[in-house]
Amino acid sequence: MANYDFDAIVIGSGISGGWAAKELTEKGMKVLMLDRGRMVEHRKDYITEGKGPWQLAYRGNLPPAEVDRDYIMAKWGGAGLSAQTHYYNNDRLNPIDFENSKPFRWVRPAQVGGKSLIWGRVALRWSAIDFEANKRDGHGSPWPISYDEIAPWYSYVEKYAGIAGSKEGLPQLPDGEFQPPHPLNVAELWVKERLEKAMPGRKLISTRTANMTEDKPEQGRSRCQDRNMCARGCSFGAYFSTQAVTLPAARKTGRLTLLSDQVVTNLEYDPRTKRVTGVRVVDANTHEAKVWRSRIVFLCASAMASTQILLNSRLPGGERSFADSSGVLGHYVMDHVFRTGFGGTVSDPALEPYIAYGRRPNGVYIPRFRNLNGQDADADFVRGYGMQGAAGRGPAGAGGFGKAMKEAMRGYGPWTIRFTVFAECLPYKDNTITLNPAKLDRYGVPLAVFNVTFRDNEMKMMRDAALQGEAMMKAAGLTGVNSSNEEHVPGDAIHEMGGACMGEDPRGSVVNRWSQLHDAANVFVTDGSQMASTSCVNPSMTFMALTARAADHAVKLVKAGAI
Amino acid sequence: MIFDRRDLLAGAMALLGTELAMPLARALAAEAPPAAAPGFAASHTIFTADQRSLVAAISERIIPTTDTPGAIAAGVPQFIEMMVADWYETIDRNDFLNGLGVVEGYARVHFATGFTQLAPEEQDQILTLAMRNQIEGEGGFFGHCRQLVILGYYSSEIGCKQERVYVPVPGRYDGKYPYAQVGRVFSA
Repeated sequence: MANYDFDAIVIGSGISGGWAAKELTEKGMKVLMLDRGRMVEHRKDYITEGKGPWQLAYRGNLPPAEVDRDYIMAKWGGAGLSAQTHYYNNDRLNPIDFENSKPFRWVRPAQVGGKSLIWGRVALRWSAIDFEANKRDGHGSPWPISYDEIAPWYSYVEKYAGIAGSKEGLPQLPDGEFQPPHPLNVAELWVKERLEKAMPGRKLISTRTANMTEDKPEQGRSRCQDRNMCARGCSFGAYFSTQAVTLPAARKTGRLTLLSDQVVTNLEYDPRTKRVTGVRVVDANTHEAKVWRSRIVFLCASAMASTQILLNSRLPGGERSFADSSGVLGHYVMDHVFRTGFGGTVSDPALEPYIAYGRRPNGVYIPRFRNLNGQDADADFVRGYGMQGAAGRGPAGAGGFGKAMKEAMRGYGPWTIRFTVFAECLPYKDNTITLNPAKLDRYGVPLAVFNVTFRDNEMKMMRDAALQGEAMMKAAGLTGVNSSNEEHVPGDAIHEMGGACMGEDPRGSVVNRWSQLHDAANVFVTDGSQMASTSCVNPSMTFMALTARAADHAVKLVKAGAI
Repeated sequence: MIFDRRDLLAGAMALLGTELAMPLARALAAEAPPAAAPGFAASHTIFTADQRSLVAAISERIIPTTDTPGAIAAGVPQFIEMMVADWYETIDRNDFLNGLGVVEGYARVHFATGFTQLAPEEQDQILTLAMRNQIEGEGGFFGHCRQLVILGYYSSEIGCKQERVYVPVPGRYDGKYPYAQVGRVFSA
């Protein structure tokens, strides 16, 4: 019998890793959680929380020269905001192989808690339509799991995380276990009423979000205070993060060991037993290497980082990853497409007397309406998109200078509403992440090379979304309706998925229906890398549900002596 | 018009207990940032004494003292010096310094004295010409400077708390709040 340091090692402490640590420790396992980033403790280390702009470096915006030097990819996730720069990877010190990559924006965090501290908190379920999509239109690896199998796990994680939303009865956006939704403002209600009347089937709802509207005293968390400073960390614990939610639960068991600043370079594999026998780390500060041993491993380092670790886990004496008997490890890399937007102005004088008090942490959502029942006759693309937006009023723009300008700026500009499209990206086998063994990072890991492009289907979808968006705004009676379309660069939506996709067939997929490696039964890959398609909705709730489900299954297998 | 910070802190502590005291107290106490840290003051002198006075005079005409303090009281000139010294790329820095020279030169040629020595109405006269691109070589300086003053003022403590209404912990969202109840802009 092998000598284990821990029952389980969880690699990564973000949305997926945090859930893995919580579930595994609560089920009695002794767990080591590793993260490459530095430690951030709940409350104590939220160093910019609650500060006014005059208390932030450069009043909130880093000098462009510094951003371009250190945050060339991370800036697309908000690293240029000085209130949150410390939560982002330094892309100069921890680069990808820029020279050999096609444009890709890999926005990485730099701390324990990962992107759970800085995520957009949109909390949506996938639908049956999403899980059936690959099989139906023949793209990518067919999902081996159904919505009905996952639904109880969505309920499980939603109840604990605290999700605010309205029940709408939409098959393409299943309802969940919701706290009351955050309210719409007067302009959003105005648009909702007119849009839903003018275009039956289109819906405008409060965006379901992991910002609570009710307290959870048993978790020491209180409801959202409408500060909208979430990405600095929240001492109220009002939104779901590892720090506020899963880490305290795991620590409470007394069975968690958490080590920060530990860069996992690779997994050690024994071809004889077909098991992973060790997790090799390099200390980020001392550069000392060490191998930890455990019965099972949960790989939750983020879609691209987990894939990179697997690619760098070679068979003894070989160049090939032990996890790549399928030949698709590192393939089918995807991200949502989202640089298309549209909006307009609500010119109704009846709304003029009103403004918003408080800074709501969410906005409004228009769920997918395209290709819901098979293929729409007028759609030249498969699958669909959703739209996320908000209405608001900014300070009035005033010309000139002096007293008159100062006084004019005490008023507000018009109510405007603006949406961003989030479209599904198809799984393409030749959209890849690979390693360049000729270029190593400072921890000795080969740099990642990205070869990911959006294609015809994605571009057609975005064109359609802009047209549909404008038509909806006009139908709702807005003025100054417009749309915009910027360059779509993969990674940009920070919804990167794939690389170790799920499937029934070990010849065409990397993990099975339990997120378990086909090539090593004691390894579970439960973050975005396992995704076989992207849906058009935000993926984090699905990562949580699949992680909790995989942990439950893994513990059952361990108890049965199967792994 | 500032919502009372002590009340907010008391409310938050009642909600969550003493654990919350430290980070919120830190935030709500509005402590002064460390002056030496990058991004809070110019890391080195970039203006001459004359340029510094000129920037202060222009700033105060763009956002003057009225029933609330103006740009100088809000520290806008120091903010501008920091931005020009540490935030700007060289080309923008040079443009800004050139623009200052053009405004000062115009005052000396047309009013026979430096800008800072002029009466406020005369200063406004020059700034109006600059705004209308009617000063040779002005090259967009006025728009540039005006933007910096607005940014610096409305992100200052005075701008956020005295000119605008600062609510660090709103505690709720009301999407149909009558503007008449506040009569000002809520600072972000």
